[in-house]
Amino acid sequence: MRLSYKWLSEYVDLSGISPEELADKMTTAGLEVEGIEPLAQGTHLVIGEVLSSEDVEGTHLHITQTRIGDKPEDVLQIVCGAPNCRAGLKVIVALDGAELPGGTIHVRPLRGIDSNGMLCALYELGVDKKYLTEYQCSGIEELPADAPVGETDVLGYLGYDDTVLDVSLTPNRADCSSMWNMAKEVGAILHREVKWPDYAGKADIGEEGTFRVSSATEKCSAFLGKVVNHVEVGPSPKWMVNYLHAAGMNSINNVVDISNFVMLETGQPLHYYNLAKLPAREITVVDDIEMKMTALDGVEFEIQKGDLVITTGGQPTGIAGIMGGEESMIDETTNAIFIEAANFDATSVRRSSIRLNLITEAAQRFTKGLEPLSMQKAVDRSVELLTKYANASGFEKTVSCGDFTYEPKVVKETLTHCNDLLGTEFTMDQVKEVLTWLDFKPEINGDEITCTIPSYRTDIERQADIDEEIIRLIGFDSLKSTLPFMEATVGRLTPAQKIRRTIGELMRANGLNEIITYTLVPQDYIDNAFDAAGDAIALAMPMSDAKKYIRSSLLNSVLECVQYNEAHQNNSCSFYEISKVYSVKGEEERLAVVFDGNLEEDKLHKIAKPGDFYAMKGLIMSMLKKLGFFGGRIQIRENTKDTVHFHPFRSAELWMDKKFLGVFGDIHPAYAKKFDLKKSVVYAELKLDQLFETRGTRMKFVPLERYPAVSRDIAVVTDRETSAQQITNTINKAGGKLLRNVEIFDIYEGEHVEAGKKSVALRVTYQAADHTLKEEEISTVHKAILDALAKKLNAELRA
Amino acid sequence: MDRITEVQNEALSAIESAQSPEELQQVRIKYLGKKGSIQALMSEMKSLSKEEKPVFGQKVNLCKQAVSEAIEKAQAQLEAKALEAQLIKDKLDITLNGTKSEKGTMHPLHMIQQEIEDLFIGMGYKIAEGPEVEEDYYNFELANIPKDHPAREMQDTFYIDPNTLLRTHTTAMQMRELEKAKGQTPIKLICPGKVYRRDDDDATHSHQFTQCEGLVVGEHITLADLKGTLEFMANRMFGEGRQIRFRPSYFPFTEPSVEVDVSCPFCNGKGCNVCKGSGWIEILGAGMVHPHVLEMNGFDSEKCTGFAFGVGLERVAMLKYGIDDIRNFYINDERFLKTFDRFD
Repeated sequence: MRLSYKWLSEYVDLSGISPEELADKMTTAGLEVEGIEPLAQGTHLVIGEVLSSEDVEGTHLHITQTRIGDKPEDVLQIVCGAPNCRAGLKVIVALDGAELPGGTIHVRPLRGIDSNGMLCALYELGVDKKYLTEYQCSGIEELPADAPVGETDVLGYLGYDDTVLDVSLTPNRADCSSMWNMAKEVGAILHREVKWPDYAGKADIGEEGTFRVSSATEKCSAFLGKVVNHVEVGPSPKWMVNYLHAAGMNSINNVVDISNFVMLETGQPLHYYNLAKLPAREITVVDDIEMKMTALDGVEFEIQKGDLVITTGGQPTGIAGIMGGEESMIDETTNAIFIEAANFDATSVRRSSIRLNLITEAAQRFTKGLEPLSMQKAVDRSVELLTKYANASGFEKTVSCGDFTYEPKVVKETLTHCNDLLGTEFTMDQVKEVLTWLDFKPEINGDEITCTIPSYRTDIERQADIDEEIIRLIGFDSLKSTLPFMEATVGRLTPAQKIRRTIGELMRANGLNEIITYTLVPQDYIDNAFDAAGDAIALAMPMSDAKKYIRSSLLNSVLECVQYNEAHQNNSCSFYEISKVYSVKGEEERLAVVFDGNLEEDKLHKIAKPGDFYAMKGLIMSMLKKLGFFGGRIQIRENTKDTVHFHPFRSAELWMDKKFLGVFGDIHPAYAKKFDLKKSVVYAELKLDQLFETRGTRMKFVPLERYPAVSRDIAVVTDRETSAQQITNTINKAGGKLLRNVEIFDIYEGEHVEAGKKSVALRVTYQAADHTLKEEEISTVHKAILDALAKKLNAELRA
Repeated sequence: MDRITEVQNEALSAIESAQSPEELQQVRIKYLGKKGSIQALMSEMKSLSKEEKPVFGQKVNLCKQAVSEAIEKAQAQLEAKALEAQLIKDKLDITLNGTKSEKGTMHPLHMIQQEIEDLFIGMGYKIAEGPEVEEDYYNFELANIPKDHPAREMQDTFYIDPNTLLRTHTTAMQMRELEKAKGQTPIKLICPGKVYRRDDDDATHSHQFTQCEGLVVGEHITLADLKGTLEFMANRMFGEGRQIRFRPSYFPFTEPSVEVDVSCPFCNGKGCNVCKGSGWIEILGAGMVHPHVLEMNGFDSEKCTGFAFGVGLERVAMLKYGIDDIRNFYINDERFLKTFDRFD
């Protein structure tokens, strides 16, 4: 909110406290001041009178003789370009050296004509143009004829000697958007007395009238109305205009201004109706009509069921709490009014105002909730100000409907509980002082403090609220730093958390960078999900088509990232991401790994580790091994799950303990094209939940072998289609218990090998636990292996 | 006799003039070989008398020994020389680059997250987890943000249906943990994770971001405990000597609520660009768990109290590493990622 320093000082003595100091203290107490700005600015200003104004031919300029005092030397020649510059005007003169928001005024000739200052428009002093008429904006300010020539406190004369604090109110302190309540708050911060204007009971006047108010909906909990049979519409007093400007509102006429001014004072939105334009002497609040209506600003709105509407004689005359109708608007011809001060349901007002895009001052206040007594305060104050500044008379007795019962809230707290919660050692005297300044009327009984909460502090409900008031006003500086003194707990990572970290470490050790991509994705990413568990979850109201669904796989997000990096000449990228994915069936956690180019490359030292299928397979196997999953628990199968996104013959399914974990391999060239990928990209997407839930094989030491191992290299020629697994399986079966290891170390096709065949070189290792192997033993087993290879796989020993 | 001396001198001189191990080998063969000169001397012994034989034999042996020793010595010298030559030949250009050994990097958000996790694990906290697709009940209802609270407006939250949404804060995890505890204390946990809000992405806003919250509930937990805990955290994250400052604030789920400022680590509180001259940077929101939140979750608010705090990891990372645009975290430009390649 915009808080006028000058207006505030009407209620609380601010002497000796600058706006900056006030801002600091308010911020420390929880009312954050985000900006301080003067309402208008200017030094070296003086009020002058234009004695003569001659046109300079061929220009828009005038040469004036302007008097700024009584002595002969006080007549200055000043050149002015404003169209309204003329003899007899009282004007604002900025003298040599004047500091204005636009810069400093230096005396210098204008087009060769001596000029000793500048005649100013209000906006040149920093007054916002929105508060000025078009005429005021098009020329210099025309001061009243009685303006005192020679007066140097021009801002004071104009009433613009004010500073506005921009206060950011937390939602619980909506009460402070009322000037009166803000004054109470500032009084509590500064420990200074606060005086509200004498308003109470001012509306208790008038005879019983015939006007009636009622509500057909629960969403209007209370309604106060008052007929004023005579008002005189005219300009507002200058001070009121200035305060409204400071608060960010414009002046319209005295009656409308009073309704706004009282709203700013009390926090209660008011609406004044032109009584003559109300078709009936009754008002009913309803929420079940559908129609079009024209509001105050001339725009037409569609009223729907659920919108709170003010009707009179069955006709809508305003959108309750948001904006009045055009028909019953106050204008110069108005001579009688009806005052409305009501409490409309916050949610209903909020919904309607958002839907209609009418976020008015009134609507915002209803949205934040009203205090129970503000309706009465506002009607009382309206009567007072209308009588004083609009010559109001002919009041009728206040009419009402709804519930006005009010009991002040009483909250009890103990000093012990307060200090226990805060970890402080405040004394009863300290606490009592704070609560007294807050007007909580503390009654002390031993350790117990009983507070009676003022009506406007709707945020105070229980002990903790009282404690917060105490610490924020005494100040947090007094708070010590301690650590919780409690039962010891063990902090440790869960298996899933450990596994995530382990995978990350391994990936990074292999040169992969971790990425985090967006959860929300477009439709296309859903249509092209890898192995989605179920239908994707869509947002009810997406912000855009690109962020419409919660992703059901990582594939496309990761390829998008590769695409971006390729486009930015970041060559040879490899990434991993661990993230949850969602579908209507629930959440899953996944690991995505991608290689785009070589994993390692060093031309100088002639090293290149291609990021290919085998590199991916190796990385995944070493990851699984690291997590304790290896050997027979892991299976690699032909990819039948997804051959749309993966290359059908350069990808594989990964299974663990007979459960599907994911697919890895080359991205299908056709799909890679969609992302404009230049290189062949190798990708893996694996489900992690199973790894989290399963226990890996534990580490156990096996005594070291005491007898030497013997290796034999063999090369066999087999069909090209014979897989490595078939060969090793065959050898493993034939090898018996002496066989320790089989390793393929070369595959060769080409010259000297028949077409359709390949040569496979293997190293077979034999070892016995209890003796050194003898040549005959090895030969027997080795022969059995060669026989099995020949018989089962038609593999012959290469010549 | 002179013959022996002659052979010996001849041999020694040949040894001396040998320039390579090969030449030396020739010398060895010539003098010590089976058909060598010294062997030939031995064969001369046959023609000597019985008395002369031992004397002659002894002399020849001495000669053989002297030649052998000289050869060994020369051999060692030649080898040393050859090695020295080889070493010179093996000389490397030590200014050439070493073989590349680039390791991958952890995402900066996870670096910060892990740092916080490790700090709190050390203090006996556990790390809670929870779903990103969350029930309205945990995200709002239990967090003391009832229906119609302005914070629940459609424009702030990605709703999926009236009861389901993308969590808007990690507070949802706190609520799940509180409910799970069934009124039993102590509770000490942190809950990091992704959260989502309806914000248009720009340099300072992101519809997806990362929070880490902490929660402690027990008997006699105080606001001063919160301050001490956060001071600990600030010192870990921004270096020793950090001070913290509380300012009153408002969150629906805490009372009292505070904004927490950390003394600026860049200027040590003197005032700089980062802290906009104030000497402090706003980094955390915190407070004492609202008694109503405790009650809704089945705790006796008369008996236990608790504190909670929350920090935005993007903000911490941006401050710490001077990152100017929040979108960097989600674009994953390799050049950005590679920035975070070292010990911190």
